[in-house]
Parts: sequence; structure tokens; C-alpha cells
Amino acid sequence: MSDIKTTLKTMGFCGPCTASDTAEIDVRDGRILRTRPFSYVEHQSADGLNPWTIKVRGKEFKAKEKTELSPFALAYKERVYSPNRILYPMKRVDWDPEGERNPQNRGRSKYVRISWDEATDIIAKEVLRVKEAYGLNSILVQSDGHHLIKTIHGPRGTEGYLLDQIALKETGVELVNDFWMHEDEQGAVQTGRVKGGGYTMQARNPDSWEGWYWGAKHIWGQDPVGEGDQYNLFLDVANNCDSVLFWGCDVETTPWGWGGCFPSRYCFFLSDIGVKQIYICPDVNYGAACHADKWIPVLPNTDSALQLAIAYVWIAEDLYDKDYIESHSIGFDWFVYHVNGGDDGIAKTPEWAEGVCGVPARIIKALARHWARHNVSIAHCNGGSFIRSTYSHEPARLEVALLGMQALGHPGRNQVKMMEWQLFGLTSQMPAPRSELIPTLNDILWPYAADQRESFVPETLIPEALAGDYDHDHPLTWYGVTCAGLPTEDQFVKYQYPVPGSERIHMVWTDSPKWTSSWNGGFEFMNAIRSEHIETVVAQHIWMEDDCLLADIILPINTKFEERDINCDISSGNYNVLMIEDQSIEPLGESKSDYESTLEVARKLGMYEAVTGGETVEDKIRRGFEGSGIQNRISFEEFLEKECYVVPTAKGWEKDKAGFQRFYEDPERYPLSTPSGKIEYYSPRLAEHFPDDAERPPYPHWIEKGETHPDERLTTPRAEKYPFLLVSNHPHWRLHSQMDDCTWLREIETCKVMGPDGYRYEPVWINPADAKRLGIEHGDIVKLYNERGWTLGGAYVTERIMERAVLQDHGARIDPIVVGESDRGGTNNLIAPKAVASKNCAGEVTSGYLVGVEKVDVFELARQYPEAFSKPYDPDYGVLQSAWFDLD
Amino acid sequence: MKVFVIDANKCSGCYNCQIACKDEHCENDWMPYALPQPHSGQFWMRVKQKDHGQVPKVWVEYTPWPCMHCDDAKCMQAAPDAVYQRDDGLVVIDPVRAKGHRELVDACPYGAVFYNEELDVPQKCTGCAHLVDEGKLPHCVDLCATGALRFGDEEDFAEELARAETFVPEEGCKPRVYYLNLPHLFVAGDVWDPEANEIIEGAKVTLSMPDGSVRETATDDFGDFYFRRIDAGTYGLRIEAEGFKPVERPSIEVDKSLNLGDFPLERA
Repeated sequence: MSDIKTTLKTMGFCGPCTASDTAEIDVRDGRILRTRPFSYVEHQSADGLNPWTIKVRGKEFKAKEKTELSPFALAYKERVYSPNRILYPMKRVDWDPEGERNPQNRGRSKYVRISWDEATDIIAKEVLRVKEAYGLNSILVQSDGHHLIKTIHGPRGTEGYLLDQIALKETGVELVNDFWMHEDEQGAVQTGRVKGGGYTMQARNPDSWEGWYWGAKHIWGQDPVGEGDQYNLFLDVANNCDSVLFWGCDVETTPWGWGGCFPSRYCFFLSDIGVKQIYICPDVNYGAACHADKWIPVLPNTDSALQLAIAYVWIAEDLYDKDYIESHSIGFDWFVYHVNGGDDGIAKTPEWAEGVCGVPARIIKALARHWARHNVSIAHCNGGSFIRSTYSHEPARLEVALLGMQALGHPGRNQVKMMEWQLFGLTSQMPAPRSELIPTLNDILWPYAADQRESFVPETLIPEALAGDYDHDHPLTWYGVTCAGLPTEDQFVKYQYPVPGSERIHMVWTDSPKWTSSWNGGFEFMNAIRSEHIETVVAQHIWMEDDCLLADIILPINTKFEERDINCDISSGNYNVLMIEDQSIEPLGESKSDYESTLEVARKLGMYEAVTGGETVEDKIRRGFEGSGIQNRISFEEFLEKECYVVPTAKGWEKDKAGFQRFYEDPERYPLSTPSGKIEYYSPRLAEHFPDDAERPPYPHWIEKGETHPDERLTTPRAEKYPFLLVSNHPHWRLHSQMDDCTWLREIETCKVMGPDGYRYEPVWINPADAKRLGIEHGDIVKLYNERGWTLGGAYVTERIMERAVLQDHGARIDPIVVGESDRGGTNNLIAPKAVASKNCAGEVTSGYLVGVEKVDVFELARQYPEAFSKPYDPDYGVLQSAWFDLD
Repeated sequence: MKVFVIDANKCSGCYNCQIACKDEHCENDWMPYALPQPHSGQFWMRVKQKDHGQVPKVWVEYTPWPCMHCDDAKCMQAAPDAVYQRDDGLVVIDPVRAKGHRELVDACPYGAVFYNEELDVPQKCTGCAHLVDEGKLPHCVDLCATGALRFGDEEDFAEELARAETFVPEEGCKPRVYYLNLPHLFVAGDVWDPEANEIIEGAKVTLSMPDGSVRETATDDFGDFYFRRIDAGTYGLRIEAEGFKPVERPSIEVDKSLNLGDFPLERA
């Protein structure tokens, strides 16, 4: 097949320098032909691979000879050619920068095509106008990306970089991007701090790790994100674990976007060698569906009660390691006091917990004893109600409290992650056999929009910042989100918006137009961005979806297949790879990369050279390579010729201490990063900084309700009106809110439910007993609602969900019925609580909250909302672009 | 002669095989073996999904289901001029000769033949014959990360084929797609002492099989018992634990996997 050209592309979505899922993309006649796994063996260098093998009880788990691609990687070809692709610059038809701007019509109006010249003229003029009228900090840059992992081509703040260069030119204050973390010789994480810049940044809150960040860091330290040390844990788990608790963890979902199918293969191996896999979650998630030896259904966000009851059994029956607690922890008495009800009058007995969490007391006791008598580790994959609900810090630190009681770091007793391996380039985050080297491209990354400038607003508080009644005298304040991954001390710093000397936000420029479908309380965002304060909204995106519907100007961005770039795959688990991602196909329509788009605007502002720094893309590729770590192994010329370098496994990896083993063996020499160096069952730091915080007291608690969330439980009054807890996991057939237009995913039974009106609705899992009570049958269309609004879904009646809980994945593509009130797409983020995790924790609450469910008649709704229900639509793709774009 | 070997114990239900088929065949022309597959609605490699059990004993069975490449294929019998079996065992519907042969869709007892209305031709899995010709794997097999799907020479799988099953054997088609570790059905439950509110470990649980034989197990440290890989029929259950009165559950009609629920035992 000599007419086929092959290019390499990473198909994972984790973040810059942490790509995964390298694929070989076959291209024929200028079109993507197919997607194949990347062969490590065929691409190995003269250094070889030093392939690793984990041998246990006569069975072997080996490094794979090729990448283990996820279904997302395969279906991505459809995403490239989606009819939903934005191919031309577009302008909202009733937004006139010289006249009426009609902000109230965002989300309702259509768009007309304009030229790149006109689009960049308008944007350049608006930037200068806002700068003169209010100052550059009145431009909000929302930046995270399209979850395509690019290096040079952005997005991740390319537009912000331009604004920073404008500020730099005037003020001379240089903004240094030093988000990246470094490990010192003891493995402690350090970061840099900077001030300055030319925009207000939407700061990335620790959305993937909420509870770990806000809670676990206060009991075991563990910067950057609060999760456990991962060194060599796949060997340790295989060798030493009797059981693994997959607690709110779906190994067949979240890892797909962040690494591929390696965890699936590993779990089958655990079955082969007799390691029991116990899933504790409200649903038979996709991991439980094929790997679980036992499922313990627990009501959403009631894990704290279950955990406390386990502690109760251990204390009552003397089933924990007292010597370890003595030598490795402080403040344990406080914890015992709470477990026994000394402070709140509630003894946390299994019988008490049964009433809260829905797990029978006898099963809680059995689990507690099973755990105490075996080597048990806990596995996680982020997401879901366990870690993203109200007071998420409590289940997180209670987990550490329990691990501590069973001697955390003892062989077979750790917290193991099934994804995000080598997160932030850290060896401490690698449970698979260690690589000789973790390549990096930090030298040429964009600022990542995660620096520590003065003016920023956490993701979770954006609607408040856009439309709330705040000024310098009455600022919006919060603690500790400047960007995800900072040291714990950041949580004790109070920040504000607007910053002194700055005006409020008047312009929004986003390369991640996904707020509505990704964060907490999307309807409030819709309403906020339609306020009079917001004069201009620019979105740059690849597909017409989500917040693009709220923009005034839309720039057409292309996919990584249309660009040439350099990238490193470090999250796949087998080997690390540095590669050239050569251009596969020509750009579609008039689309450009985010970097190229920024340059087009920069040209209009006389800032072209300032943004390129005088470098071409090829220059940047070379500079990236020269700082990657691979430059000491092969020459740049050889790298260009071979297009990749596969890093061999480190020799002697088998001898690496596993997880917290060093701390277990010698806590004085290998302390934790808490102030005491030990597990802090009572956190003096929390006590000092937040002495009056009843929602996150110094030691872990069962928090049923508090001032931030007075009424979000089945045991609180709103449950009479909204009697279900919603489980909203990371989506199984999407990557957050990406890929909802892929036909090959949409036609899978669990992806969408075909309604009687020919619309594919987002499934709502409901237990047969609940469905019967509500008169709902499989395939009926239901409304999911609370006082924040409503969205629709297709009833999926199944034993895979426990009673009193319903499940709908988050991130479905929005399809507004009434903007700010109702939605057809099943985008439940729109009705998630707007309030943050707790008083002093600006985390998101996007799962485990109250909803009502009722059957609806879609034909009646269509009569009621004729315009919303008659948009051009194809069940294979969803709402068609012509619903918004007038391209004729 | 080539075979597909599918291990149900290793299938994660990722649907990579189903999607890979579309990646390879939608919009791509692989003549002389296949014209392009329509963009949606056809599943030359289909993943079947079936939920088993009831809360809290629930899991999901996934079955990758391609054309079975039968030695005595019904489609071949229905249109001998249009369908042929290659020397390597792959069964191919000739896209030119089969034009208009709508009857092939109903001829297949596996539902593996689809009709392309636009091209007016019946279509199905070719085993990616165009790739096999180049010594490569079918695309679905190449994309299976867990090893559930394998493809190769019959003799290399001899030991495994000896214990494999095939679907719809009663049709006598001699399929070349073999399944290992098919789960069949289960019955399960858990046993406890309501007086102490504790599970009972080590209770003896006996299942009388439809053929009169018995299988025996003991409850684990969660009080759970399982009888796996059974088929539809009428079963009887007996639970005995020292210090408790035995419980009998005769005439259990099994037509799907059953969690029989919890069994509170009365003290003797």
C-alpha cells in the first residue's frame, strides 16, 4: 500500500507534556484512512526497549508491544470530519461592535460568515477599546483547550500570551511561566510564583481531584494534587494485595481519555492471579461490569458514613495497627472522638451508617473485617460522586485516615491510581515500571494559562465574576485557587476579584468554550454571560458546540491532524515516547490552529514578532527537542528522520520501593509533606487558618449539611421535592463534553437512547423498582430537574444502578430549550449546584446532588417549545450546524 | 485455515472492535472484497451486551459478534455464485456478483449480513481479507487491547479450540469463530443471621441441577455464594449452617441470571 502515508499522533487528552495513546494514522489521497496502534517494537531505537515483565504466581503481565488505544482514539477520525466542524470565522448576526450588542440574545441568535480579515480587525479593535476604557484585566481569558494535546499549536492560552505581550510592552513587567513543578532530591514539589500579565485568567481549579486537593492534602500532604505516591505499585499490588477496593473508580472509563486501555488489561491480570476486586459505588460502572468480584452499592456522596463505620468496627474490635498510628501519625485521638460520637453525639456504628449510605450494617462489618485481615489497596480514577460532590474533602481524608489505620505503605496497602501516570512529569506518580526518562517539552509550551498572575478568577466562580455585584470595595473573595497543583499553603491565602486598581470583566476570550457543559451550574453561566457588563465574547473552537452558542465572534480552529507539532506520550503505561506529529491532512475550510489564529490577531496589533519570538514552528520543534531530555540520546537529525524516540524501561526498576513503603519503614527519614511529617488525623494548619470552619474542621467528619449546602441530602427537606441523588460520572462515551457528535459512539446502546421523536437522548439510569414507582419504562423520555432548571434524558432502566440514585453522565452537548432554564441535550452540569464544595474550598459540585425525575411527553414539549424542538437535527450527529450558522 | 478466537473472560466491552470495523470500512473501498460500509447502522463486527443479575449481584456480558465465516455458510448456499470461501477460510460476499441479492440478509442465522440500500448490495465482515493478504491482522483484532480477540491459524489454537464453543450450532454451519469462557447464567445470594445482624461465612449451599446432579459451594466472608456457568432450567437450592435451621428453595426457574437475594437464617 505504497500510496499510504503514515503520521504519528497522540490521541489521549490529559494535558500538555502528558499525552498518551500514540497512534499511527494512515492517510490516503489526503484523507485519514484509518487509525492503528503505534508499534513500540518497530520504532525502538538502538537503545532497545528493555521490556518489563511483572511475574506473579506463574503468570506474567508484560509491557505491550504496541499502544493500547481507546475507543476515543479510534472514533476521533469522525470528529475531524464532523459536520459540526466550524470552517469559517463567524459573527453573531445581532452583535454590532459599533452599535447594538444585544448581549441578551447570546444563545439564541444565529451567525453569519465573515472573513479572517474582518474577524481579526474586530478582535484587535475590541482589545484596544477594552484596554483604553477599562484596562487589560477587563479581558477574561478562559483557557484549557479542546482536549487535543498539542504543544506548539496551543490552545491553552495562546490568545492570552498575545495580551501578555501587549502588557509587557507597556509595563516592562515580565510574566514568567513557572507553573511546572519540580521535585527536589527528597521528592518534595516546588513551584514558582509570579505577578503581572495582560488579562484576567480563568484559573484551573483542581477539578479532577477536588476532594484530594481540599481534604487529603490536610492529612497526608501529597502535593501537587493530594493523591498517594505511586512508585512501582503495579508490582506491589500484584505481589502483595489480596483485595483492591475500586472506590468510586471506573477503570473502563476515565483512563480511556487519559491513557488508553492498559488499566483494563492490568485488571484482567489481577483476576488471573486471584486478586479480589471490590467495587464500592452507586452504579455498576463499566469497570465493575467486567472486573468486579463484588459490588457494594453505596448512595452517592455518603461514602463518609461508610468509612466512619469501618473505623468504628476497627476501633471496637481492635482491628487496626496501633503501633503504626503511634509512630506514623498525630491527632488520632480526635478522630476516635468523632467516630465514637464524642463531638456530635452520633456513634458512627454500622447500623447508623446503614441508614445514611444504604449499605447493610452486616456488609459494612464484613468489609471492615475483610479489609483488616488482608492486604488491601484502594484504586482510583478520579471523578464521580466520591470526589466531586458537596464536602468532597471528607471522603478523601477519611480514606487516608483508614489507610493509616492499616499501616499505609505496608506491602499491599497503598492508594493506586489507574490513570494520570507520571502526572506533571513526576516519577512519584508512576505505578508502572519506571522509565529511564520522562521526556518534557516545557521549554516550548505556551503559558498554559495556569501561571500565578495577580488577576484571576477560579473556574468555579466565573458566573459570579461576570455578572455579580462586585467592585474593589466589595470584591468577590475565595481561598486558594490560583491553579491546580500548587502547594497546600496556597489554600490559606485569600484572593479577590477585581484586584485593586482593575475594573470588572467586560470581554471574554475563550479557547475552551465548555464552561456550561463542564462546570457547576451552567445555567447561571448562561445568564451571567448575557449580562450588560459583557460587551464582547470571542470563542475559538473546532466544533459548533456548548459555549460557542454564546459567543459574538467565533474563530475556526483545526484539529491536530491538520498541524505539524512535537509531543510526548508519558501516560500510556508501557513506554514513554517523544515524537514528531507530522501534518496528516490539509486544514479543513479556513480553519487555523489556535497559535496561527493568535498570530493573525497579533499581526493586526503589530505584535506578530512579539508572539513568535522570531521563531518558526520548525525552530520551536528543534528547541523543544533540545530541552526534552532525548537530545542526549539521539541527534535532532536522527529524531526528524525516525520521527520518534521510545524510552527504554529503567534497569533495576523491580527494586524500587513501592508507594509509601519508605515512609512505612522509616517515617523520620522519609516524612510526609505535612508540617509534622506524619499522617495528621488532626490538622494544626487547618485549625490555625480556619478555626471556625464547621464544614471542614481540623479532623475528618461526617458533614450532612452546613451553611454552604444546607439541603443537598436524601435526609434533608429538599429531598421530598427532589428525591434522587444524581450520579454524574465522567462520561463513558465522551471525553467530558467532547465527542458527543461521533456517530460510531452514539449508536452504541449505552451511549444514547432513541426517543419516539427520533432524537437521541442522553441516558438516565434508573433502577427498575424506582422506574416502576414513577411509571417509567425503558426508553421513555424523562425530565431531570431541580430549582436550578431542567434537562432531558432517555430512561435506561437497569439493575446497574441502586434505588434512590439515578445516573446521567456529565458533559452532553447542550441543546438549549429556553436559554438559562432548560435543555434537551441532557447536560446536567447546567443544574448542578452553583455553590462550591464548602465554605473555604472553591471546588466544584457536579455529582451527588438532588434531582427530581419525571416522565415527559416529547410531542407535548415540542408543541410548547416549537422553535427549540425543530432545529435541524441528525440522530447520527446531533443538532446540525445550520441551526446556528447561516452559510448560504 | 484461519479462525477467530474470542475469550469472553478478557472482553472489557470497550467496543474497540465494533468501532475499528467502521474505521476500516466506512468510506473506504476494499475491492475486490468489499465496497464501503454505510457510515452508520451496520455492524459487521457487533458487540452484543447483556446485563446479568439484580442489585447487588450484577455484571455485564459482552460478546463480539462478527460474521462467523462458516465452512457450511447459509449465505453461500443461498447464492453460490456470489459468495465464496477463500482457501484461508474467510467467507467473502463478492460485491459485484452479489448485487441485488437481498435474500442473503435473511439467509444468515447469525444476523451478520446487512443490506447496503445505497449500493444495492449485501455486505458483511470480510475478516479484513485485504489486510490478511498483506500478512496483517483484521483491524478489529489489531485494536483489541486486552487479548479478547485473536485471529490466526487453526492449528496454533488447537488446545483452546478443544474447549471452545460456537453459537447456533444447531444450524450446522461449522462457524470459524470460536468462543472461550462464555459465562452462561448464574444464581447467587447471600446468607446472614438477622439476630446478630451478621453475615454467615462458610454456610454450605447446595444446588440441585436439572439433570439431578448437585453442585456445592460455601459462602465467603461477605456471606455470598455463586453458582456460575449454568443454563436455563429448574434448580433447587439448600442452605445449611451450623447452629441454624436449613433453608430450602425448590423449583427455582432459571431463564436469566438470578440474584436470589438475602437468606436470613433462623437459629436452630
